[in-house]
Amino acid sequence: MNRPNPSSRSADRERADRIYYTLAALLGGAVILYFAVVPFVGANLAFHFYLMLWITMASGFNVSSGFSGYMPFGYVAFYGVGAFTTAILVKKLGFPVLLALPFSGLAGLVLALLFAPTLRLSGIYFAIVSLALAYICRLVITNMPEEMTGGSFGIQLGSQAEPVLSFYVMMATMMLALGTILWLSRSRLGKALRAVRDDAEAADMMGVNITRVRLYGWLIAAFFPAVCGGVEAWYTNIVDTETAFNTLITAKTVIYAIAGGLGTVSGPIVGALVMVWLDELIWRQFPLLNLLILGLATVLLVLFLPRGIVGTLLRWRPAWRRYVP
Amino acid sequence: METLVIIGIVNGLIVGGVYALIGMSLTLLYGVLRVVNFAHGEFVIGGSFLAYVLFNTFGIPPLAALPIAAISFFGLGYVAYFLLIPRLARSDDPESMSFLMMYGLSIALAAFMLVLFEADSRSIDYSFTPISMKVGPVYVATARVVALGVTLVVAAGVSAFLFLTLPGKALRAAIMNREAIQIMGVDIVKLSAFAFALATGIAGITGVLVALVFPAFNAFSGPEYAIIGFIVVVLGGLGNPLGALAAGVFYGLAEQLATVFLPQAMAQIVGFALLVGTILVRNAGFGRWRVSR
Repeated sequence: MNRPNPSSRSADRERADRIYYTLAALLGGAVILYFAVVPFVGANLAFHFYLMLWITMASGFNVSSGFSGYMPFGYVAFYGVGAFTTAILVKKLGFPVLLALPFSGLAGLVLALLFAPTLRLSGIYFAIVSLALAYICRLVITNMPEEMTGGSFGIQLGSQAEPVLSFYVMMATMMLALGTILWLSRSRLGKALRAVRDDAEAADMMGVNITRVRLYGWLIAAFFPAVCGGVEAWYTNIVDTETAFNTLITAKTVIYAIAGGLGTVSGPIVGALVMVWLDELIWRQFPLLNLLILGLATVLLVLFLPRGIVGTLLRWRPAWRRYVP
Repeated sequence: METLVIIGIVNGLIVGGVYALIGMSLTLLYGVLRVVNFAHGEFVIGGSFLAYVLFNTFGIPPLAALPIAAISFFGLGYVAYFLLIPRLARSDDPESMSFLMMYGLSIALAAFMLVLFEADSRSIDYSFTPISMKVGPVYVATARVVALGVTLVVAAGVSAFLFLTLPGKALRAAIMNREAIQIMGVDIVKLSAFAFALATGIAGITGVLVALVFPAFNAFSGPEYAIIGFIVVVLGGLGNPLGALAAGVFYGLAEQLATVFLPQAMAQIVGFALLVGTILVRNAGFGRWRVSR
């Protein structure tokens, strides 16, 4: 019998896990430290707020597309509904903002449950339906009575603005998202999700409850953009359908996530960091050409780096897959 | 009320014709290349802007702009194919990645048109004489009647091409089975490039018609048409050009009649609901790797 010694294999795996978690802790620590000091050193608060927002959004999208294999091109629906939930609760029902935010997340979950039947679809059908559902959400909210959603003027939150506090709330949301995905990538659920993504029938045979696993993945993916929408509404103090349901939000989320590489914890972080910086630089230089360059960047990304930065690195050195979070 | 319904039907046929052409070109693209062209709306609007420039700068009327749009867009499409599509096959999931790439292209093209033409809505200030015609009991703008005529000619022409000529038959064969047609000795790269060029050419023509039929267009009108195109393609069955023609007319009628009976915004929601419902119901029958539980 030429089987490797089981104890040496488990020792090997433990070693890999140790490196994995050390790297994850280092990455997480660096991210926390970096963002935590931003308000103290007087760095650009808005820039870093949006950087965290995009990291969170891209990470949430990663759960859906990287882990579960669904490309929700109407991802903005969750964001917009979350933004309006916070705005309505705060402005019309007098909730304190911090109490309203969890309800935004809840609204995202409810919306995800409503959309759950679309999980039966796959590939391009799912993408198109998701896009159409986002348009429907936008139209429904636009046409709600003006006393509720503020019509085309939107809702102003009034004297609720607390930039620094909302900055830290955004940071907490981001850490929660990253923590969830770190857990997911090593958990039973994460493994089941990937198994279902790669071969649903085989996973079914192995006793994975496909429907339930997909639903859990979908709920996680929907929760974070909804909270992001709420926090952003608080930060900017205004919500309207034009910006809250802007398809560019989906576009940026998808682009940032794919630029980093789907299916890893670090991918969306790296992708968002690189692309948001790039976006900022371009925007400063050529404000008019910003959209044009964003679009071209997407095309080039798909053509030349379809697996993203981290994904390409892992393809080049497959052995690192065990260590890189 | 009766007149309103008749107006709804006439408008539905005219608008539906435009949707049918968009749907037909989209479905050809998807059928032959497996590319989900989200940028198709921008191709169409590009045609509208071309007609706008031709008329305002050179005084060329929209009808004469039709062949110019068709030929120039055909050429652009042929070049674009080689720039964009062959590399796509290298990714893990070419179909979803094609959607993402075209999404990016859509943003880029819209931004490009925004830089060229600014954000204002444009329309072509050209009128036929007489300015309107009596169709049955109602008056319809001549431009729209002409547009309907052009739609019929183009639809009939493309259908005849697809069903009566050898290259057309090759295209339909490629839709049915991409592998088998290569065994039969068809150069699939050439055929694919031709399909892409044909689809963009039709989009260019459609753009000129959009300028005739709809009151105005701007750099960001594209996605609206792309989404309607998707609805039509899905209703007609993916990769079925004749189905797309019928579905386009059906959708145009449904949309225009819905505006008679429902408020404007509700009519739009009906369209999207139609799309979601169709996909959910249709796909229940023949999903690809879906596991039913």
